[in-house]
Amino acid sequence: MASVAAWLPFARAAAIGWVPIATHPLPPAPIPKDRRKADDEKLLINVSGRRFETWRNTLEKYPDTLLGSNEREFFYDEECKEYFFDRDPDIFRHILNYYRTGKLHYPKHECLTSYDEELAFFGILPDVIGDCCYEDYRDRKRENAERLMDDKLSENGDQNLQQLTNIRQKMWRAFENPHTSTAALVFYYVTGFFIAVSVMANVVETVPCGLRPGRAGTLPCGERYKIVFFCLDTACVMIFTAEYLLRLFAAPDRCKFVRSVMSIIDVVAILPYYIGLGITDNDDVSGAFVTLRVFRVFRIFKFSRHSQGLRILGYTLKSCASELGFLVFSLAMAIIIFATVMFYAEKNVEGTNFTSIPAAFWYTIVTMTTLGYGDMVPETIAGKIVGGVCSLSGVLVIALPVPVIVSNFSRIYHQNQRADKRKAQRKARLARIRIAKASSGAAFVSKKKAAEARIAAQESGLEIDDNYHQEDIFELQHHHLLRCLEKTTDREFVEMEVPYNGQPKRPGSPSPLASPTHSAASHPGLLHACCGRCCGQRYQSIPFLATSPGKDRVVLVYSDKIEVRTKKHQRGATPESTAHDEELNDIQIRMQSNRSPPSEPTPDRLSRASLNQTNSGGGTGAGTGGTGGGGSASLVSISKPNSTTSSTMTASVVVNLPASYPGSEVEPTSPASPSASPATSPDQQPEVRISTL
Amino acid sequence: MFGGKKKEEELDEFNIHVARHRPEELAKLAKTTKFTRKEIQLIYRGFKQECPTGMVDEDSFKNIFSQFFPQGDASQYAHYVFNTIKHNHTGKISFEDFLGILSKVSRGSVQEKLQWIFGLYDLNGDGLITKNEMLDVVTSIYEMLGRSTEPQVDEHSAKEHVEKIFHQIDANKDGVVTIDELVEWCSRDEQILQSLDTLDTVL
Repeated sequence: MASVAAWLPFARAAAIGWVPIATHPLPPAPIPKDRRKADDEKLLINVSGRRFETWRNTLEKYPDTLLGSNEREFFYDEECKEYFFDRDPDIFRHILNYYRTGKLHYPKHECLTSYDEELAFFGILPDVIGDCCYEDYRDRKRENAERLMDDKLSENGDQNLQQLTNIRQKMWRAFENPHTSTAALVFYYVTGFFIAVSVMANVVETVPCGLRPGRAGTLPCGERYKIVFFCLDTACVMIFTAEYLLRLFAAPDRCKFVRSVMSIIDVVAILPYYIGLGITDNDDVSGAFVTLRVFRVFRIFKFSRHSQGLRILGYTLKSCASELGFLVFSLAMAIIIFATVMFYAEKNVEGTNFTSIPAAFWYTIVTMTTLGYGDMVPETIAGKIVGGVCSLSGVLVIALPVPVIVSNFSRIYHQNQRADKRKAQRKARLARIRIAKASSGAAFVSKKKAAEARIAAQESGLEIDDNYHQEDIFELQHHHLLRCLEKTTDREFVEMEVPYNGQPKRPGSPSPLASPTHSAASHPGLLHACCGRCCGQRYQSIPFLATSPGKDRVVLVYSDKIEVRTKKHQRGATPESTAHDEELNDIQIRMQSNRSPPSEPTPDRLSRASLNQTNSGGGTGAGTGGTGGGGSASLVSISKPNSTTSSTMTASVVVNLPASYPGSEVEPTSPASPSASPATSPDQQPEVRISTL
Repeated sequence: MFGGKKKEEELDEFNIHVARHRPEELAKLAKTTKFTRKEIQLIYRGFKQECPTGMVDEDSFKNIFSQFFPQGDASQYAHYVFNTIKHNHTGKISFEDFLGILSKVSRGSVQEKLQWIFGLYDLNGDGLITKNEMLDVVTSIYEMLGRSTEPQVDEHSAKEHVEKIFHQIDANKDGVVTIDELVEWCSRDEQILQSLDTLDTVL
């Protein structure tokens, strides 16, 4: 939080927008304690404790950067007469060297992003990195960018999981990510199965299956079981057609989909069948028909949707296109040269195989790839020499681009693996961050209550417990900001855990445990409320004694005082408090009432409230947050009847009402000012609400 | 030579934007705003720490704002606040804009503050606050509370709140609130005027 501490003023300023709609007046600002708080030709620069000194002229060499311009005056510390930067000192060394030598170097062991951030902070363009380090920098940057792209893609993919609105999008997502739903997975496996079946059928079709009747030669299975294979083929093509049409329907961008490689493969896979249906079985076009069947083998490429490895291979080939091109080109050159020489060397041999240069191509290819079938062999001596040179150079030419292709493949393959690993790690990381955030939020609430208690103690002038150091002014003001939010919306922040008794809080229900020791309090007309963590209950204006099971305090309202006592026995109350000794601290609550009860003018006794902290390090038992500042009437609390309190602390509150309050009825004291408390009950029920803030 | 080049351009977009903004001189800022030199120094350091390039875009703004309200979701309110800060259509605010608003809102006169508040609620800038606009803003305020409040926030809380408040502010009951009605409403109530002051910050 420290880094955004300086934005706190802005957040607080923005909170002014809550003021017109606030249900209660906002609490006053915390009072700050005393605060500490800025040519000689040599300048002293202090970067996180490490001191650098340099001449002023050195820095002014580059006036468009932070250090070279008067922007550095913002960082000048008057007391120590130095410029202080709260940044990384190791990287700053390089930045300062840039001013000194004019060359910016990139340290290889530093993380690229942190280096970039420092450069951005000090206003230096990365392009001025010297030639010695520039390539390294760019390589690292490229890797980083690829990683960011991967992350972004996967993040988008994950995000899109939530935002599906219609059937089309759902289908598309099911097609692209089969693991997202069971139906998609089923579909995936079914299509995979049918691709396999179709390919197998193509293969088995040509296997010989017995003899041709009445003729020589074997009968391929395809002819023997014509009907079976035809049905199989039809079924497969039906499935593929349906799949293609569904994908076409679901695609967000149909034109792009139609142009994509996979869809072309799909079309090529199913088209032969339909064309074959159209062509009748006569000999003229049956040749073409047979050719068409060749295309059916393209169905095997449909597997690439199912296999990541195939996709990587395809991607590798695409990215190695230039190396492959070089390979092909150099091979072609070599083949032509050697074939020509070979041809002219063997031209005059009787019955030679080398009938033309293209015929010699075959020999050259076979030799260069060290296959050596032996169907074409040179006879002359010159031919044999050329043949030898050919095979040696073949090895060299092929061996050269191959490692490049291999390394590309390996890089892409590992990248993919890393992407999968990162995705898995990311989920775990996010889960851990969520947990940390939750715990910090809870710690925050308790800290907030501690702060409030101290502020209230401060206001009332009583001494505060010196065990706790005065909180930093920013914390105080931040807590004040959150209190303002609470007051605006008439809610309170509570801790996030389930109430200790695990039961949902039902409004108005009295606690099942009424302690008999406090029966003295069930004096007629007494109003009981409870405060502390027991207050999941919403107390009504009907007097009852409210304690909660295992609760550690009970509030008793007498005619002339309100008393909150801590029960001496703890029954597994708050986890924190059981560990500590409870202290009963007297807390007097300041009360003022601006509404004069019918038979008395003004209260003539004011008690003051102070809250003492006990050792349990939590919040307070009762708060008077609403009673700050000027004479706004606030008794105890001014929240509406349903407000509850929660705190982890125990405290005892004794409230002395002015004695002149009539009778045994406690005057309605809950409303502070009419405009601030919308929940003022019009009836004159005696109500005292105690709530913490 | 034969294949396609790597897509350098695509990767370039991930470079940290080198566009920087340098703010005006410290002395000048101290004169035009209501902060002292030391305070401006402090504010600038924090500003620059969060946004090294000197410009804040809306996402970082929302991020920073949300850090102050860990339990709830402050992004919508941050969005409305961001819109009140004039920024030249790049969608980012510079330090001068930031400081100007801060000075006006936390240390300005009551009139300036109320003006800003009006601008916050008046989402479409037509000089009138309708009930729906107020409902949007109030909803965003309630969102900042998060789940763990007592009593719980539900989808009707904001609506009820607005119902209660709106007709009180709308003096002539014409369904919209003008700046004068808002000023009138706030000036009438001592506590509101006081509250406007409590949100100043000591640096």
